[in-house]
Amino acid sequence: MSARRRTAELARPPEGRRREHWRPPRGRHRLPPEVIARSQRERLLAAAIDVVAEKGYAATTVADLTKEAGISRTTFYEMFEDKGACFLAAYEAAVDVLTRRVATAFEAEQGWLARVRAGLEALLSSLAAEPRLARLALVDVGSAGPAAQRRYRAALQRMTPFFDEGRDYAPNGRALPANTSRMAIGAVIGLIVDEIEEGRTERLSELLPEVLFATYLPYLGPEAAAREVGEDAAPAGK
Amino acid sequence: MRLLPGNKPRRTPSAIMGRHSRFQSSEMAVEIESKREQILTAMVRVVGRQGYEATSVADVIEEAGTTRTTFYRNFEDKHECFLAAYDVLIDRVFARIVGECDAEQSWVDRVRKGLATLLDFFAEEPEMARTAVVEVAGAGAEARRKHTDALTRFTAYLDGGRRLHPEAELPEHISTMAAGAVSALIFDELVAERAGQLPAQLPELLFAMLVPYIGPAAAAEEMRRAA
Repeated sequence: MSARRRTAELARPPEGRRREHWRPPRGRHRLPPEVIARSQRERLLAAAIDVVAEKGYAATTVADLTKEAGISRTTFYEMFEDKGACFLAAYEAAVDVLTRRVATAFEAEQGWLARVRAGLEALLSSLAAEPRLARLALVDVGSAGPAAQRRYRAALQRMTPFFDEGRDYAPNGRALPANTSRMAIGAVIGLIVDEIEEGRTERLSELLPEVLFATYLPYLGPEAAAREVGEDAAPAGK
Repeated sequence: MRLLPGNKPRRTPSAIMGRHSRFQSSEMAVEIESKREQILTAMVRVVGRQGYEATSVADVIEEAGTTRTTFYRNFEDKHECFLAAYDVLIDRVFARIVGECDAEQSWVDRVRKGLATLLDFFAEEPEMARTAVVEVAGAGAEARRKHTDALTRFTAYLDGGRRLHPEAELPEHISTMAAGAVSALIFDELVAERAGQLPAQLPELLFAMLVPYIGPAAAAEEMRRAA
């Protein structure tokens, strides 16, 4: 997926470039009201990601959001009840984008080992390309109150089907606990969050061998997991 | 709070006396020390109940039954108080685990006992559990680092599994992976307000902790034995 397409999904320019919001032309125009409303909402959600990543959730105010998005306070409150509701919507949008990319990569491959590898590669490269989105999705969400914590939990649960196929692949998969996928996700996210906290978000793709190992581990055990990661790491067409 | 092994050295009454020479009697110094601990415990409880962001110094002094003056004599602000409270909390959990586990001879028994102790503590003290595992994420980068350090300390204590496989080259990160898996399961239960059910999760958590070292077949066997 190209960088342009990727950021278009969140209606914002690539990070590090000057923000150039698309706005409807001023004055009389023929754009239907729902189109204007949608563009305002998208700008607002993109603004929420940027502002929260920069200032942290607690320090972010509604005024910061309306200023960054270039909308009025009235418009904000027509769309969202408060800062928390806006944050949750931005979070959901971010998780949707991430889950879709992982699912697309996963489904393009055959066999669990290759599918998981492709899915994790997509996850790591998406997070690396958009460090602010990565922080929002995995770090800042913890500070945004109980509703956000429950969304975070639900978001991680959306990843379980990708991991659960490992039960069919593993030699004795049916004997594994039902929440094996949650363990693997916990281990993977733990490794990723460590990298984000250490300021190495942009190099997340280098973490692929570790997160692959952590994923294969509960299904295959340490020796087989290490073997599969090693073979996977070999150049294509081996 | 009792003085437990594993606690970090804290300000002793005499150290406080040194700082506040106007306090003449050691009873007074002891009283200050216990006020400090009451505030730390109150901080952990209030944050566990309402989250870090929503917690004010006023909430904490009310819970501790103390005054603003006493609070600010001991701490710069809410954040400094939280960091100190978090250290004491982790020391307390860890001391309890060490106290229960040191008698266990085999590594698997030690892991089982260590996890069971942790889960029992969290079930008894759901507010403390929420602070330790869930709310800490909202208290800034330093607090999150303390959380990571606590996980490392916990898994390092239980990391004897490597010795079972001296021939295998287990990755350096393997205990981080075990910690991530275990804390993910605990996090989910706490967010769903099910701290009381944590002890029943022991078999699955034992699997999560053992599988990186002994593989799924043997870990599933231990899980069945613990059920």
